Amino acid sequence: MARILLTFSDKQIYEPITSQVILESGVPVNILSANVTPRGGEILAEIEGRDVDKVLTAFKKRGITVSVQRKIEVDRDKCIDCGSCYSLCPVNAIAFEPDRTVVFDVEKCVACALCVDTCPTRAIRL
Amino acid sequence: MAQNIRTVAEINEKIRKGDAVILTASEMEELVKSEGAHVAANEVDVVTTGTFGAMCSSGAVINIGHTDPPIKIDRAWINNVEICHPGAAVDLYIGATLMDPNRAFEYGGGHIIEELIRGNEVELRATAYGTDCYPRTRLETRITKDDLNQFYLIDFRNGYQRYNCATNSRNDTIYTYMGKLLPNYGNATFSGSGSLNPLCNDPDFETIGLGTRIFLGGGQGYIIGEGTQHDPETGFGTMMDRGDCKRMSPEYIRGAAVSGYGTSMYVGIGVPIPILNEGLAEKTGITDQEIFTNIVDYGVPRRERPRLRKISYAELKSGQIVVNDRTVKASPLSSLKGAEKIASTLKEWIEHAEFYLTSPVERLPQKATLNPAKQEAVIPFVEGLTRAAVTCTEENTVEEVAKLIIERSVNHIIVVDSQGLLQGIVTSWDITRAVANGVKGLREIITRKVVSAFPNEPVEVAARKLSQHNISALPVVDTKWKVLGIITAEDISKLIVR
Repeated sequence: MARILLTFSDKQIYEPITSQVILESGVPVNILSANVTPRGGEILAEIEGRDVDKVLTAFKKRGITVSVQRKIEVDRDKCIDCGSCYSLCPVNAIAFEPDRTVVFDVEKCVACALCVDTCPTRAIRL
Repeated sequence: MAQNIRTVAEINEKIRKGDAVILTASEMEELVKSEGAHVAANEVDVVTTGTFGAMCSSGAVINIGHTDPPIKIDRAWINNVEICHPGAAVDLYIGATLMDPNRAFEYGGGHIIEELIRGNEVELRATAYGTDCYPRTRLETRITKDDLNQFYLIDFRNGYQRYNCATNSRNDTIYTYMGKLLPNYGNATFSGSGSLNPLCNDPDFETIGLGTRIFLGGGQGYIIGEGTQHDPETGFGTMMDRGDCKRMSPEYIRGAAVSGYGTSMYVGIGVPIPILNEGLAEKTGITDQEIFTNIVDYGVPRRERPRLRKISYAELKSGQIVVNDRTVKASPLSSLKGAEKIASTLKEWIEHAEFYLTSPVERLPQKATLNPAKQEAVIPFVEGLTRAAVTCTEENTVEEVAKLIIERSVNHIIVVDSQGLLQGIVTSWDITRAVANGVKGLREIITRKVVSAFPNEPVEVAARKLSQHNISALPVVDTKWKVLGIITAEDISKLIVR
């Protein structure tokens, strides 16, 4: 899954742009949070990784500023494989190998940042 | 105790010749399972254990050498962390949990010890009051481990035999020494290496005690007795140990930042268990299924936290546990990979005759008493400060509630339903704002997510909730959310001046 942040100007908020993009691209867009005021708005949404390009193009065509949210970065030199982060991950992007090495599936990461401040060696960054 | 079949001296002789058979605790578990304790006892000389977890009661003593003119340090800071000064002129103790006030919860004593072990330079600053024999009053210098006369890890309490599994009943996330706990039992954390843990493999301390040579922080150290809060009768044994930091490795001594709690230090420990008899073979064959602890609710910040149920380390290590009929993930806080590596490294050392076993001069005690702190003042509870709440329902208007505030001269009106259950709260400030904005209905201005208190909570816990959420009153509710009254910041402050 990829996370995208859509930024709407004060003029763009009156158009049903997200609905148009969903209809045009045929891609389900999962809205995680939305904050729209008369001065403009922001929508944080999640889409299937393989559809990212299609959706981004459709939004950009309509003049929406789109940024792909970053994912976690793990400093393996700092990580001690304790797994403190494991139970915080809502999308099971953090798992253990049979030898108890902690592994991070960056593809699955939705950049929620819940794990970041649980790392005792501060090996995880967003 | 079972009949001994070999001595530590005989094992050391075999180590010298390269004939000793060493297994890690995991390998021993397999052997005992397949061949039985009798065969295992005959074949195996030593079983190595390991644990690598956050151990807060750790620290290092350093001696920086005498200055000219000499100083008798009164207060000292390393990298802006104020260091304990327990002894004579230039001895300092770097406790793992001491923190840099400018980098609170991020950098502390554990990090300094790690940096020194890495060979990094640290900044030392000290002040003194000056005496005839120690006239110097200030010192500022940079030091590395090579500048220190002694640099010893001296840990008061390490290697807990087992530890609680923590979860959180509250409706908000809490940050504890057991890590970050999500609301409504949303996750769990646990500590300890279970069947790899040193004390779990010799629970009667037949071979462990003062003078037992161990793997400590990547070097060789010694157990110097039982740790503080040693409580072997409930399976919570601990050990105190000492080792030369100059020979340790940053791989096994790591500064740790535990958000919202403080700093700590990960310490790697491995204890060799000589298989002196069949009983020890049996004991070192212990599995995670046989080691139990309790799931404990850290949402209740009391000495006796509520226990939810018993749970085995096998279930904990599976990563998924059931808490209140719901499956949640459980994080190990100790590095199980690190623990396994420590056991393997210690095994290699012994195989290469780089490490010899010792017999303890005095075994860890099998009995100990763990008393709570003696408290002279009676602690006040929310119950004692609860006053009757002024309530309304959602059907009331802003105007009606405004009148209620004036008549009863209060600032907080608690919104309840027909059963008296908590629905929300409205303050005099909310009403003022509603009047200014021309809002008539109460529903629009009710605060629905209300921070509340329970009657059996200490007042200090309620005061912390007030300050954390920057609010001035809490509805007091029972476990079914029925409103029993209200506790206010004003009432709490009266308690302080009383």
